[in-house]
Amino acid sequence: MPAIAIEAAGLTKDFEKGRRTVWQRLRRERDRRERFRAVDGVDLHVEAGEIFGILGPNGAGKTTTMRMLATLLEPTSGQATVLGHDLVTEARAIRRRLGAVLSGERSLYWKLTARENLEYFAALYHVPPAETKGRIAEILEIVHLTDRADDYVEKYSTGMRQRLVLARALLPAPSLLLLDEPTVGLDPQAARDLRERVVQLREEGRTVLLTTHYMEEADQLCDRIAIVDHGRIVALDTPAGLKRDLNATEVVRLELHGPERSDAALVARLESAGQVAQRTRENGTLHLTVHCQSARELVPLVIDAARAEDAELANIQVQPVSLEDVFISLTGRALRE
Amino acid sequence: MGELRQEARAAWAIARKELQVFARYRLNAVNQVIQPLYQTLIPGVLLGATFAIGGQAVGLAETAGTTDIVGYLFLGMLALNLASAGFWSVAFSIKQELDAGTLEPAWLTPTRRETFVVGMTAAGLVLAVIATVILVLIGIWLFGADLAPRLLIALPVLAISAFGVLGIGYLVGALVLRMRDANFFVDAADFIFVALSGAAFPIVVLPDLVQWVSYLLPTTHALDLMRVSALDTPPLLPLPIEWLLLVVTSAALLVVGRAAWLRTEHRLRVRGTLGQH
Amino acid sequence: MNAASVIADARAFWAATRKEWRILRRYPGNLLSFIFWPIALPLAYVFQAQAFSGGRDDTMAAFMERTGTNEVAGFLFVGWATYMWLSIVLWGPGTALRTEQIRGSLEAIFLTPASRLVVLFGPAISQLVWAVWIFVVVGVALWIGFGVSIGPVEALRALTVIVVGVPALYAIGALFGAVVLRFGEVHALVQGVRGLFTAVCGMSFPIIVLPDWAQVVALSLPPTYLIADLRAVLLTGSGVGRILGDLAILAGMGAVLAVAAVVAFRRTELHARRGGRLAQY
Repeated sequence: MPAIAIEAAGLTKDFEKGRRTVWQRLRRERDRRERFRAVDGVDLHVEAGEIFGILGPNGAGKTTTMRMLATLLEPTSGQATVLGHDLVTEARAIRRRLGAVLSGERSLYWKLTARENLEYFAALYHVPPAETKGRIAEILEIVHLTDRADDYVEKYSTGMRQRLVLARALLPAPSLLLLDEPTVGLDPQAARDLRERVVQLREEGRTVLLTTHYMEEADQLCDRIAIVDHGRIVALDTPAGLKRDLNATEVVRLELHGPERSDAALVARLESAGQVAQRTRENGTLHLTVHCQSARELVPLVIDAARAEDAELANIQVQPVSLEDVFISLTGRALRE
Repeated sequence: MGELRQEARAAWAIARKELQVFARYRLNAVNQVIQPLYQTLIPGVLLGATFAIGGQAVGLAETAGTTDIVGYLFLGMLALNLASAGFWSVAFSIKQELDAGTLEPAWLTPTRRETFVVGMTAAGLVLAVIATVILVLIGIWLFGADLAPRLLIALPVLAISAFGVLGIGYLVGALVLRMRDANFFVDAADFIFVALSGAAFPIVVLPDLVQWVSYLLPTTHALDLMRVSALDTPPLLPLPIEWLLLVVTSAALLVVGRAAWLRTEHRLRVRGTLGQH
Repeated sequence: MNAASVIADARAFWAATRKEWRILRRYPGNLLSFIFWPIALPLAYVFQAQAFSGGRDDTMAAFMERTGTNEVAGFLFVGWATYMWLSIVLWGPGTALRTEQIRGSLEAIFLTPASRLVVLFGPAISQLVWAVWIFVVVGVALWIGFGVSIGPVEALRALTVIVVGVPALYAIGALFGAVVLRFGEVHALVQGVRGLFTAVCGMSFPIIVLPDWAQVVALSLPPTYLIADLRAVLLTGSGVGRILGDLAILAGMGAVLAVAAVVAFRRTELHARRGGRLAQY
C-alpha cells in the first residue's frame, strides 16, 4: 500500500443551479444558469494508516469532497490521486480497494436478508467466489450481526442497519474507508460502538477518512482534522495543534446584565487577559465567549469590570477549549448554526 | 478475460437479486403474467368474435393469413413481454433503486455501471420467457389455440432479440437517470413499440409510413418469424431478409442504446445528480 | 350536521381538489398521459378491428348486427374512455388513502374535524375533472380522426348517463378505499377487479359475444350498463327514454354500493382506531 492514501491539489467542484429546459437545449441557448462553488480549491494529504477528519457545518462541502474522492463525482478542476491511482482516469482501480459509507442505512435492500445483501455486493466488488462465504462470515462476526444474518433487513433497527452498511464497506478488504457522517441518526450507544469500530480499523492498518459535524467525535477519533467552511479548508492540524493555535487553553462563557452602552468598555477591559471570540446581546443580557490561558486570572478581571461598568454578572461557565471554539474563532459562526 | 468473468459474475448477481426481490412480492409476480390476459388478450379475442362469420375469423385470414385469432394474439404476447423486459425491467429497477438509495452504493463498487443494465435486462428476459410460455400454454389448454410452437426456432429468435432488448434497456436506463419522472415516457414508448411490432394486429393495417417504422423494430421480425413457424402464416418479407433484419435492427438498437447510456453516465458523474432523487 | 359544518366540508372538498390539481400540474408526464392514452389505447383496437374485418362487407355486417352500429371507431373509443375513467375511479380513493397511510399523514388527516366523506370521496371527486377531460379528448379525436361528430344533444344525453353512473362507480372506488385501509396492499386486488371489468363489461366488444354465464356476470356490474348506454346515446341516436330501464338499474346499484362503502369505511375506521392501525404501514 502506498504511504500516501490521498493526495489532492486544488480540488474544485462547481454546480449549476436549476435545469435547462429541452427547448433551451434545442435552441442551443447559452447556459445562463448561476454557478455555485461547493468545493473551492481543497488540498489534502492523507497518510496511510491515519484517521483523517473533515469537520464543518452543513453545506460546507464535506459530502461533495467525499463523493469526489469516492469517484462518484468528477471534479471541475484540480488533481487527486487515491491509493496511488488518478482520481479521474483510474476510477475503477480506486473502487476496487475502497470501502465507503455515504448514504447510510437507507441504502440497503429491505426485501433481502443481511447475508443476501452482502452476497450481492460481494459479487459487485469482484470478491472471488471461493472467498465470498468466508469473508461474509468474518465480517458479520466483526459487526456482531451473525445471529441476525438471515433476517430481512426491513426488520432491523437503525443501528443494525448502520452496522450492516459498514460491513458492506468492508467487503473488498479496503485499504481506505470513506465514512460520511457515519453516526448521524444513531443513538448514543450505537454511535459509541461505531466510533470504537473506527479506531479498530486504524489498528488493522486501514486509512479512514471521515466527515462529521460533531466536534467531539472529530476530537476523539481523528489523528488530524481539516476544518472546512464554504468549500475551503480554513485550518488543518491535529486536534491538539488546532486548539493550541487558538492561543488559549480555557473558554469562559459569561452572561452579564447591564446597559448596552457599557458593552464596548466591558469587552475592552477583558481583552487584556484573553480574546473575546463571540459577543451577542439578547433580551437585555450580554453573552460573551472569551478564550484565555487561565480562567483563574480572568475571573477577577470580570468581576472588577462588571462593577466598574455598572453591570451584574449573572452566569459564568469555564470549559476547556474545544474544536467548536476553534471553528468560531476562524469563521465567527458556530458549527451547529 | 478475468475482468470479463468478473463482470459476468456481477451481471448474474444483479439479475439474481432482481429475481429474488421480484419473487418476494408474490401477488405482483402473478399479476405480471395474468395482466396481459385480461387487459389485452381477452378483449382482443372478443373483438375478433364480433367480426366472425360462422365462428371463423375470416377477416383475419385476409390480413394475416390465419383464422386462429387465439393463437395469433397469444403468440403476440411474446413481443409484448420481450419489449417489457427492455422497457420495464430496467426502468422500474433503476427508479426503485434511486428512490431507495441503493443505486449509489452499488456504483461505488468496481463493477461497470452498464453491467447493471445487462443484469436488469437479463432478469427481465427470464421473466418475459416464463410469462410467455405460461400464456401460450393457457392459450392452448384453455382457449383452444392451435399452436405448434417449433421451439427450435424460438431459441435463435430469442437469442438475437435479446441484444435488441438490451439496447432498449440502455436507452430507457439513460432516460430514467436523466428525468425525475420518466414513467409516462417509458409507458408510452413501450406501448407504441409493442403496437408497432404487430403484437395485437398485423402491421399491414398500419399506414405505409408507420409500417416503415415497424420494420425497424427487432420485435416485429422476431414475432413474425415465430408466427410463421407456429401458425404457418405468410411472412412479412422473404425469410432470409427477415432473419437479416432481425440481426441488423437488434444490433443497431444495441449500439444506439449503449451510446446513450454511456453519455448519460458521464453526465451524471459531472453533474452528480445520482444522490439527489 | 349543521349548515356551518356542511360549508366547512365543502371547503375541504374544494381544498382536496385543488391539492390534486396542483400535484398533477407539477408532473408534466401526468398531463401528457391524459392526452396520449385516451387516443392511443382505443386507436390500437381500431387497427385491430380493421385486421379482423379484413375490409370485407360480410364481417362489417356481422359487426353491425351485434353492436347496433357501424361506427367501429366510435364503439371502441367510447368503451375505452369509460375504461380509463374506471381506472381513475378504482385507483383514486384506494391509492390516495394508501399513499397518505404510507406517508404517515393519514393520522393527521383523521385528527381534523373534516367529515370522513371528504377523506373518502375528496380525491375521487377531484379526479372527476380528468374524467370529463378524457371524454372531451375522445370526442375531439373521433371528430378529427374519424369524422364522427357528437352534437350537443348527444353530449347532453351522455352527460345524463354519466351523472346516473357516477354514484355506482365512485362507490366501488370508496369500497376499495375501505378495504385498503383494512388490509393493506391491494394493488393485485384492484388489478384483478379491473381485469374482471375489462374482460366482461364490453370495453371493446358487445356483451352478446360472451358465453351465457359470462353475460350474467356482466349484467351484474355497473360499468356494463354505463358503456352500453353511452354507446346507445352517442352512436345510435337513442334518446334517454329508450334507456330508462338501464338507468334505473344503474341508479339502484349506485345506491346500494354507496351505502355498503360508507358502512365498510366506518367499520374499518373503528377497527383501525381500536388497533392503532391508522399510522401503521
